[in-house]
Parts: sequence; C-alpha cells; structure tokens
Amino acid sequence: MNKELEHSFIELLEEHQNIVHKVCRLYTNNYDAHNDLFQEITIQLWKAYPKFRGDSKFSTWMYRVGLNTAITLYRKSKRQVKTQEFDAVQFKIKAEDYDNTEEQQLKLLYQAVYQLDDINKALVFLYLEDKSYKEISETLGISEVNARVKMNRVKNKLKTILNP
Amino acid sequence: MDELELLKKHWKSTGDSDQKLSAKQLYPMLLKKSSSIVKTLFYISIAELVFWILINFLPMLSTSYLDDLEQVYGNNIVLIVLSVISFGVVLVFVYLLYKAYKNISVTDNTKQLMASILKTRKIVKYYVIYNLTMIFISVPISLYFTSLNDTALHDKIIHFTTTQTIVFYLITFVLTGIFVLVFWLFYRLIYGILLRRLNRNYLELKKLEL
Repeated sequence: MNKELEHSFIELLEEHQNIVHKVCRLYTNNYDAHNDLFQEITIQLWKAYPKFRGDSKFSTWMYRVGLNTAITLYRKSKRQVKTQEFDAVQFKIKAEDYDNTEEQQLKLLYQAVYQLDDINKALVFLYLEDKSYKEISETLGISEVNARVKMNRVKNKLKTILNP
Repeated sequence: MDELELLKKHWKSTGDSDQKLSAKQLYPMLLKKSSSIVKTLFYISIAELVFWILINFLPMLSTSYLDDLEQVYGNNIVLIVLSVISFGVVLVFVYLLYKAYKNISVTDNTKQLMASILKTRKIVKYYVIYNLTMIFISVPISLYFTSLNDTALHDKIIHFTTTQTIVFYLITFVLTGIFVLVFWLFYRLIYGILLRRLNRNYLELKKLEL
C-alpha cells in the first residue's frame, strides 16, 4: 500500500471516526472491548479502502463496514464483560443537561436499546443517525417496507418500556 | 418531548467524544492483524483440507503401503480410477473454497455478507461429509478385498460360518458408523460454537423478510 493511500485514509478516518466510536459504544460494554472493536473496524475499513471508489460518501461506506464488522465479523472480545447492563458512563448522560425525569428516561431507553439483539440495535443505530429507510434497507439487505415495519415495532417496544 | 426524540437528541450530543484519536494514534492500527471470524474460518478450512489430504494421500508415500495395496487389489483399474477421482475432488473443493472466500466482502450489505460466510462454511461441510462417506463406504469394502487376497486374514476367517461372517461385517459397519458419527458430532459442535452468533443474526434478518 502506498503512502498516499495511507495518508488519505487516515485523514478520512480521523475526520469520521465518531461513527466508529458510536458503533463500538452500542456493541460493547466496556473500554477495552470498545478499543478492540474499534481496532477491528479500522482494519476492515483499511483492507476495503482500495476498493472504495467514492461513488458513495465515505461516511455512508463507513456505516456499512462498521456495522458489518460489529454484527458479523467481530468475534466477541475476551474483554467483553458478560452482562447486559449498560454503562451509563459510556453514554455520558450529564445531569446538568437534562431534568430528573429526562435523565431517568434516557437511562431506561439506553438500557432497553442495549438489550436489543444485534440486528435491532443496527436498525435503531441507523435511525438515531437520521438515515432514511432506503439507506437502512440497503445497509442491512432487507426491504424498505420491512425496515419500516421492524423499526415501528422497536419504537413501540421502547415506548412500552417507558410507559408500562 | 417524544421519547425517541429525546434519545435522538442525546445520541447526537455524544458526537464529540473525548475518545477522539489522533492520526498518530490511528496509524499503528493499520499494521495490526485482523481477528475476524472470516480469518478464523479460513484457517480452520485450510487445516481441514490439509488434514483430509494427509489422511488420504500420506500413506501413498510409503512403498510398503503401495506394495500392500498392489498385493490386495492387484493392478486393479478401479483403484487407479478412485485415486484420480479423489485427487480431482480435492482440486474442486480447493477451487470452490477459494472462490467462496474471494466473494466475502465487508462492503456488501449485512445479509449478503452473512450469506457469503455461511456459503463458505457449507463448502467445508460438504467436503467433510464427502470424506466421512468415503470412509464409511471404503472401510468395509477394503476389508472385503483384504479378506480375499491377504493370506493371513483369509486363513483366519475361512472357517467362519455364514452367521459369523455376517456378524463380522456387521460389527465393522457399526464401528465405522460410530467413528463417523462421533467425528461428525465433534465437527458440528466446533462450528456450532463458532458460528452461533452469525447463524442467530442471519435467521433474524431472514425472519424480517417473511
């Protein structure tokens, strides 16, 4: 791999790394596992980069590779703690920005999202990132209608958790 | 505020994380080795190919084994044809496996990526089934040929009554069957553990299409 390619890749990754961090935050539950997954996604992005033609945005391409790595390629790290508990610190809910009810709601919502299975997590992730149903369906390989139906189900599920 | 909007608002505010890495920290990551499931599967399938190739062809390197074969089977054309076929089968599997691995792309959509990985695993599975079937068929057949041409064995079983002969072959069949079954279960267990998450997620995606 030549230096120029390496340089342009690092520049793009540095700029858009937040997407990778967000994927890691959703699929891991501690600092070490987060770093392991970040490392693996970086390797997969780098390996696929020579084939990146720029016909889609780098960030769009990153969502796909990042989620594919987290859901399919990544073998759960030994450092992944065996718990479904979500770590409020990872999500940085600052008390000063939200009132008590909102803070409590956010904790419950994150807890619920955290307990979803890998596929539903991906759906919610793309939804939170403001992706259209077309993009969601293209990323996951399901039809647009099904993406919409499934997302509605997840939304309802989350609502029931907050308003039992 | 709508609950999900609240979540979205907070989610977006987590943008500028203090986990931001500098280019200097990112560079060394490019040099690290991947530990993805595809890589693990690749090494396992190579190991499996090599294992069965050695089981099938290593004995051929020994001249005494070849002498024994010649003594038992003579210059039987069937033996030559079978050897050529098994070489051919190995080549076909190597080619199919190579093609399947080339098809795995992290930039495919999630469902397609999972399907490609599972297809690769299926090719290895067929290869193992092929080998186990060959063992199941060939052990009793080679025993039969040996009993005809190997004088030591021939002398021992010549006095067998029909019932004893049937029991003798039945035991051989059952023992070979048990060996094949144990091997198969062991194999299923390894892949079952390795691909549990992938299979579960693939089923979940397929369920969405129903």
